Amino acid sequence: MSERVAIVGVAQTRFGPKRADVNYSEMAYEVIAQVLGKTGLTVERDVDNAVSCSHDIWDGQTISDIGITDVIGGHLRNEEKMAMDGSTAVYYAAIGILSGEFDCTLVLAHTKMSQTNRNVVNNTAFDPIYTRLLGLDFTSAAALQAARYMHVRDITDRQAAKVVVKNLANAVHNPVAHNKGRYTIEEVLDAPVVAAPLRKMDIAPDTDGAVALIMASEEKAKRITSSPVWILGMGTSYDAHYLGDRDLSECRALEQAAARAYKMTGITDPAREIDVVELSEEFSYQELLWLEGLGICAHGEAGRLIDSGFTAMDGDLPVNPSGGLLSGVPANVAGLNRVAEAALQLTGDAEGHQVHNPKIAVAQGHSGFCGQHQCVIVLGKE
Amino acid sequence: MKRNVAIIGGGQTYHAARRHDVNQVEMVNEAVRSALEDAKMAIDEIDTVLIGNMEFFEGTHLTDCWLVDGSGAYGKPGLKITTGGTVGATIVCGGVHHVASGLFDKVLCIGFEKQEEGDTGAILSGVAHPLYGRSMAGAAVGYFAMMGTSYMAAWGAKEVHSAMVAVKARQNARKNKYAHLKLDITVEDALNSRMLAYPIRMLDMCPASNGACAMILADEKTAKDRCANPVWIRAMDTAHNEQFELDWRDVTTKKPIFSRTSSARIYKQLGVNKPVDYFDVFEIYEPATWAEMVWYEDLGLCGPGEGFRLIEEKRTEIDGSIPVNPSGGVLSTNCIGASAMLRVWEAALQIRGDAGDHQVPKEVRRALTTAYGGTNWTVITALSRSLDD
Amino acid sequence: MRPEDRKQELIDIPMTVDVPYRFAAGKYMTKFLVELRDNGKFYGIRCPVCKRVQMPPRIVCAACHVKNTEWVELGPEGTLVGFTIMYLPLTDPTTGKPHEPPFSYGSVRLDGSDSVLDHFLNIEPEVEKIKVGMRVKAVLRSPEQRVGDLSDILYFDPIPHQ
Repeated sequence: MSERVAIVGVAQTRFGPKRADVNYSEMAYEVIAQVLGKTGLTVERDVDNAVSCSHDIWDGQTISDIGITDVIGGHLRNEEKMAMDGSTAVYYAAIGILSGEFDCTLVLAHTKMSQTNRNVVNNTAFDPIYTRLLGLDFTSAAALQAARYMHVRDITDRQAAKVVVKNLANAVHNPVAHNKGRYTIEEVLDAPVVAAPLRKMDIAPDTDGAVALIMASEEKAKRITSSPVWILGMGTSYDAHYLGDRDLSECRALEQAAARAYKMTGITDPAREIDVVELSEEFSYQELLWLEGLGICAHGEAGRLIDSGFTAMDGDLPVNPSGGLLSGVPANVAGLNRVAEAALQLTGDAEGHQVHNPKIAVAQGHSGFCGQHQCVIVLGKE
Repeated sequence: MKRNVAIIGGGQTYHAARRHDVNQVEMVNEAVRSALEDAKMAIDEIDTVLIGNMEFFEGTHLTDCWLVDGSGAYGKPGLKITTGGTVGATIVCGGVHHVASGLFDKVLCIGFEKQEEGDTGAILSGVAHPLYGRSMAGAAVGYFAMMGTSYMAAWGAKEVHSAMVAVKARQNARKNKYAHLKLDITVEDALNSRMLAYPIRMLDMCPASNGACAMILADEKTAKDRCANPVWIRAMDTAHNEQFELDWRDVTTKKPIFSRTSSARIYKQLGVNKPVDYFDVFEIYEPATWAEMVWYEDLGLCGPGEGFRLIEEKRTEIDGSIPVNPSGGVLSTNCIGASAMLRVWEAALQIRGDAGDHQVPKEVRRALTTAYGGTNWTVITALSRSLDD
Repeated sequence: MRPEDRKQELIDIPMTVDVPYRFAAGKYMTKFLVELRDNGKFYGIRCPVCKRVQMPPRIVCAACHVKNTEWVELGPEGTLVGFTIMYLPLTDPTTGKPHEPPFSYGSVRLDGSDSVLDHFLNIEPEVEKIKVGMRVKAVLRSPEQRVGDLSDILYFDPIPHQ
C-alpha cells in the first residue's frame, strides 16, 4: 500500500502554433515514447494504467481518448480520461495510486488548438439557455473578470503588462516555448485591443502540443529514479458557474483548492515556504489574481508584488520561470505542463530557466471560464 | 486496495424519451436528491462529487461546470471523467479510488445524458476516425447490425433469437418503474418491427433516453454506521481496445479482445472458476440484442456459439438460473452517460433486495456488471453483500 | 384562472453547434491517402513484433506498443467479413446530410490485411444477395477525380463467378 506518490519522469513536445506534420495521436506518441525512454519503463511491464486528458469538442472526436488509445498503451488495459485541465489528471492519477490499486500511472494531455476555432469551442462551454447566445468565449469572459478585478483591487494596466514582459522574457530561456522575447511595457500596452482591457499580448496564444508524465507509488518510484518529485498536497474546488453568481475580483475556488492542498502539506505561510510557482495565466491579469488566490499575497496586493520584483526570475519567489501559458501552452495541456515544469525545477532539469535549488513548488491549473474549477498541486524534493 | 468501499445509497430519474420539463441541471439534481434521500444524507456531508457524461451529445463543453448547482459540486472538490458509454462505471471506479485513497469518506458519483438535446446518431458516428470511416454514418446501429450478420453466419442463430432477447428485456422493464421502454411485446412484435439496418429491427436496439443516476460511495466505517445494507465493491477491471479494430463485430475472431480479457482478469482476481455459480445476477451493457448473446459467451456464461441457446432455453430470464438484466438493461433504458452506472446501481438493488417487482426470486449475494463504449471498451465490476467475498 | 392553475409552458431552445475542424492526417494516414489518390493502391503497415498488417496504417501497433515499420501493398480484392443494409437516414457528421437509404455497406478484409475497411457495397440492398465470405473488389474514382480521402473509393463490387 502506498503512502506517497511521486512523479518519476516528464516529457514535453516543443510547443508551436501549428503541428501540421502530425495528427494528435502521433504528437502524443512523441512524449509517451520520450518519457518511457527516459525512465526505462515499458507499458507492458511497468505501467498499470493511464490517465489521459482531452476534450471531444477540442479534438473533434467523440470520446477523444479513442484517438490516443493505441499510443498510450490502452489496448486491453486501463485508461481513463479526464475532461478537465491537465492538472486535474495529476490529481486523479495520484488518487488512483494512493488507493492502492495502481503502482505506476502514465499521464497524458494533448491538444491541437490549430485544428479548430478556439472561440467557437469556448463558446460551447456556456450554457445553451442563458449565456451561450451572447457569444461569450473565454477571452470575453476573462475581460469581464479583468475589468472587475482591476477595478476592485486597483491593479493597473501596467502591472498586468509586467506579467507579460516577465513571462515572455523568461520564455527566451525555455527550449520548448514558442512565444518569447524581450518586450517593454509600452509594447504590450500598444498591442491591439481584443476585448478590453485585454490586448493581444495579454492572451496565451493558440498552441499545439502534448505533455506526458509518469507517476508511481513511493516504493516503485524509488526503484525508478533517484530523484522522485513527491506530491505533498493537492486540492480542487468548484466555484459557481454563472459569472453573475460570483464576485470576479476574487477566486474562491482557488482559495479553497489551495487551502486543501496546503493542509495536506502543512504549509501555513505560502509566500515563505514555497520556492517556485508555475501557475496558469491564460490571460496576464490571471497571474496576479491567482497569486492572491494561492495566498502568496493578500487580496489586492498582487500589483505591488509584481512591482517589487518578488516574482521575477531572480526574485524571492519566482513565478512562471518557464514563461507560463503566455509563452504558448495549449488549452487543457496547460495544467499538466505547469506540473511538469514544477517537477523539472525540483529535479534541477529546467534547462536554461532553472531556479536556484527549490525544494517546494506549487503548480496550479483551472477548468471552465474565469477559472471556475481550480486545482492546486504542491510538489517537493523530499 | 487500501480501504473497503461500499455503495450506501443511490437514485435514478424516471428515464424517458422526452424530458422537456427539466434542463440538464434539474435532471441531474433529481437523481442526486434521490440518492441523498436513499442514503439519508445531506449534500453538505458529501466530500467530493464526480460526474460523467458524453459532452458531445448535448453539445455542451465542460458540462460539470454548468451543473454545479444541480450536482452539489459547488464549493467542493470534484472532477469530470468522460470515456463514452463506459463512463458511468468509470465514475464508480473513480469514486472507489477516492474513498480507498483515504482522502475522502463520502463520494457522490453521477452519470447522466439528456439524449434528446443532441443528434445521437451523428455523434455516435463521430466515434469513427474523421478521415477513416466517419462519413459512413453507421452509428451504433450499423455496428451491431454487422455483429448480427456475423453471429448468424458463424453459429446458425436466427433472427428469432434476437427477438427473444428483445422480449425479455422489455418485459423485465415493465417491472422496473424507472425504465424507459416498458413494452408488453411478443416475439412476433419484435420480428415485425421496423427494420433499421439488417438484421437490427427497432425493437432489437436500445432507445435514446434522458436520465441520470447517482450513487453514494463510502468507507467501511461510514458504511457500517450509516447504512443498513451496504453493497461492497469487491473488484473492478477496465479494458479498452485499440482504435481501429472493431473486432467485436467479427464474432469468430480468435484475437484477445476487451470483453474476454477483462472478464478473465477480474475472475482471476476473485478466484472465480464458474461465473454462473459465483454470481447470482448479471447486469450487462447490451446496446443491441446480439451484443447480449455475445456477452453471454465472452463472460463465460456458456461456450462460444452457445449464447443464443441460453436465451432459447430461457436460462437468463428473471426467474432463470442465470438472470441477466432483470432491470430491462440498456435495451430498455439508454441514457448513455448513466447507463453503465445504472448497471452497477441495479446490481446493488438486487443485492439489497430492493429491486421491487424486478427483484430476482432467489438469494442474491454477488453480482457482476459490465459496461460498453468507445471502440470496444468495458469496465467490469463485482459487487457483494459481504466483505468475505 | 389563477396563474398556478394554468398548465406551465415549456420552452425549447433550438441550437446548432457547428464547430469547424481541419484534421491533420499525420504521417501514416497521409501516405495511405496519397498512394490511394495518386496510384490507386492500398497500403497497410506491418508490426515488427506480431507481424500483423494494419489498415489504416498507424504509428504504433497497439498490441505490442512498438512503432510499425514495414509498408505492405494490399490487394484491391478482399473478403466480406460483415455487412448490413441501412434503412435509416442517419446524418453523416462530415457533411451534415444523410446518405439515401436503403444502402448496403460492409466490412472488407483486403487481401494481405489483418484489418478491415468499412465501405459501401455495390449490391442491391437485399439480404439474399449479400453473404459473409463473398469476394469483393474496390472500385475507385477515375484518377483525375481523386481527392485523397476515402471517398476516392466509390464502393466494393462483388467479384463475378465466385
